[in-house]
Amino acid sequence: MKRVKTGIPGLDDMLMGGFLPKSANLVEGAPGTGKTTLGMQFIYHGIVAYDEPGLILTFEEFPQQYYRDAESFGWDFRQLERNDQLRVVMTSPEVSKAGLEEVGGRIEQLVREIGAKRILVDSLSHFERLREKPSELRRTTYGFVNSLKREGLTAVLTRESLALLGDAEASDDTFAFMVDSYILLRYVEIESVVRKALLVLKMRGSDHDKGIRQCEITSRGLEVLSPFEGREGIMSGSPRRMVDSFVQAFVKR
Amino acid sequence: MDELGMDLTGRLMADMDPRLLEFLRTTIDSFVKWDLIRFFYENPYTTDTARNIARYAGRTDEAIRKDLAELADNGVLEENQLGDMTVYSLTGDPEMRELLDDFVEASDDREFRVKAIYHIIRGNP
Repeated sequence: MKRVKTGIPGLDDMLMGGFLPKSANLVEGAPGTGKTTLGMQFIYHGIVAYDEPGLILTFEEFPQQYYRDAESFGWDFRQLERNDQLRVVMTSPEVSKAGLEEVGGRIEQLVREIGAKRILVDSLSHFERLREKPSELRRTTYGFVNSLKREGLTAVLTRESLALLGDAEASDDTFAFMVDSYILLRYVEIESVVRKALLVLKMRGSDHDKGIRQCEITSRGLEVLSPFEGREGIMSGSPRRMVDSFVQAFVKR
Repeated sequence: MDELGMDLTGRLMADMDPRLLEFLRTTIDSFVKWDLIRFFYENPYTTDTARNIARYAGRTDEAIRKDLAELADNGVLEENQLGDMTVYSLTGDPEMRELLDDFVEASDDREFRVKAIYHIIRGNP
């Protein structure tokens, strides 16, 4: 099956080659865990390695912020815009939603204009600002995600998780159900050092690596490293050494 | 008035690029418009309602509504109806985009800025 490679070292292996084409892929994590970096890298890699133009739809950060962040990784987003390979679009969820529902709307126009194949939506959490009832919010978000697929886009959708460390609050299942894959990014504390962990929680219609991997943001972007070894309870934020758990479970005191 | 019949504004503007001078005279008569132009220059693919643009630009909805509409009338912005929302985005007209680029780049120069500020404060002669 054809895959849409993210270009993120280690992640494509976890995804058995990459995302499925025209799929919606949720990346959830606390601020600073690397959600936006992952999304920008997915867009950048698509343009430079596969000639697949991309859109970045931002509801929060100014486009300038993306240009600057991208530059720190050596990615010239302004030049890609001049080449008509990228558009960083700032808008609000209500306008995006209305724009996608309208034939020939702004998003559709931009997709056609540059022949976009990939999109980063940063972030889906802002749909909650629409203050709709849960059932309406579900319908709205579902409609939005479907319209991206209708445009033939493979999407990375980010979502904020408020918990910095420790167990994250229970996520609204709505988002998890409507997407094709679900990636979690977490901070974990190991011996007084905070590290980042990545887990592919779900991937519809495909096998995937179920391990919890370490990841880092380097000068080249996000890199997914080896699994955490000899630890358990990683996603709780405070992992235990497995030997301690073994002692706790089996050795009488 | 001097011997050429020019007042201070005229003398100040005399050495300005005529295209930019005309743009100042016809389009930028408030600091809000100047801010909005800079905002759209820096974030060229923004499409949003007056309320949200006001929030991004650090202004109030009331303060920018009239100026957004006038910038649309002058061809700097495009005004579109999306359901019951009026949304604004930067014009796609290459000539206007070039003029905006030139204006924002020129306004990085202190001397140009001083002249332009004086022009706005004085209002159109």
